[in-house]
Amino acid sequence: MTTPAIPVIETRRLVLRGPEPDDYPDFKATFSSYRSRFMGGPLNRYEAWMLYAAEIGHWAIRGYGMWMIHARADGRTLGMAGGWSPAGWPEREIAWIIWPGEAGRGYALEATHAARDYLYEQMGWDGAVSYIDPRHLDSIRLAERLGAIKDHDADTIDGHDAVYRHPPPERLRSGQLRDGIELEIGHYCDPLFQAGGMPVD
Amino acid sequence: MTMPLVAIPVVETPDLLLRGYRESDFDAIADFGCSERARFVGGPHDRWACWRAFLAGMGHWVLRGYGMWVVEHRETGRVAGRVGMILNDGWHEPELGWHIFDGFEGQGYAYQAAYAARAYAARHQGLDGVISYIDAGNTRSLRLAERLGASFEREATLLGAPCRIYRHPTVGGA
Repeated sequence: MTTPAIPVIETRRLVLRGPEPDDYPDFKATFSSYRSRFMGGPLNRYEAWMLYAAEIGHWAIRGYGMWMIHARADGRTLGMAGGWSPAGWPEREIAWIIWPGEAGRGYALEATHAARDYLYEQMGWDGAVSYIDPRHLDSIRLAERLGAIKDHDADTIDGHDAVYRHPPPERLRSGQLRDGIELEIGHYCDPLFQAGGMPVD
Repeated sequence: MTMPLVAIPVVETPDLLLRGYRESDFDAIADFGCSERARFVGGPHDRWACWRAFLAGMGHWVLRGYGMWVVEHRETGRVAGRVGMILNDGWHEPELGWHIFDGFEGQGYAYQAAYAARAYAARHQGLDGVISYIDAGNTRSLRLAERLGASFEREATLLGAPCRIYRHPTVGGA
């Protein structure tokens, strides 16, 4: 019997790994906070636990799922990004969440760009959508920075979400879209100016 | 580089197979979770919560090294329930739990499954003399706990709801 395994992805600033037991407190902190209001939260501790265990179960049943994003520099967790496909959803989703204290540094862009590449190029996805609460402006902005476009005709999960359609693999392999995303990530990695206090974004 | 998931062991009894999860098990698990039968295990749930519980059943094995099995009825191949050890956030200690699905009651399957799971947990998972949380109104489960040799220990609160803690005898590990 083979044991399925969760691949590890490395980017300039990040390491994406499967969700591990030690990461649960960080997950719980965000999902029991107001930060998770557009992702079904805030959750109580039972719901947070069940969702965290479900993140892992998703990998087991689907062969893909949400990676835990770690900072290469010190290993701390920053959020999650990856593929998500509950039973009954219209299409496979690319999703992300960044812990509130880590927002504004381009981690979601860098992680989701890498995760999407992996889903497309290593796992054979031919496209994806993101289901986003229309009030979640930061997430809509990120979808757009990733080249996703609102699809007014696509089926939603429950009518309360907007569907953003990601560019297909062939459009992402090379060209202006990819260059623009990587340029922006590059600016986060090598900023021309260091903000003295709070991140500007 | 990859991170392995946990392989869920298979346990055989005369009538049942305790095994890991398949997507085709979901309908049976959701039928139970969304029904009145789930009223003693926090339900009935909506379908999303059932899906989450289905996935979480697998993830629990990775997080804790043990968890609930899917109980397959060997003769028909149908899913008869779930059984195994649970330690969710908020639990006092690892719990032996059992869910028996519609149509599989009254045939001794719950006893068979719970007995096998308890023995496996004692022998291989270092969990012996465990508890079961049981709703005071769940007479079938209370009777099963007693048939398994468990005895009432105390009243408790789980996730804000009152329940009873039954303590199983130690059944021997090593």
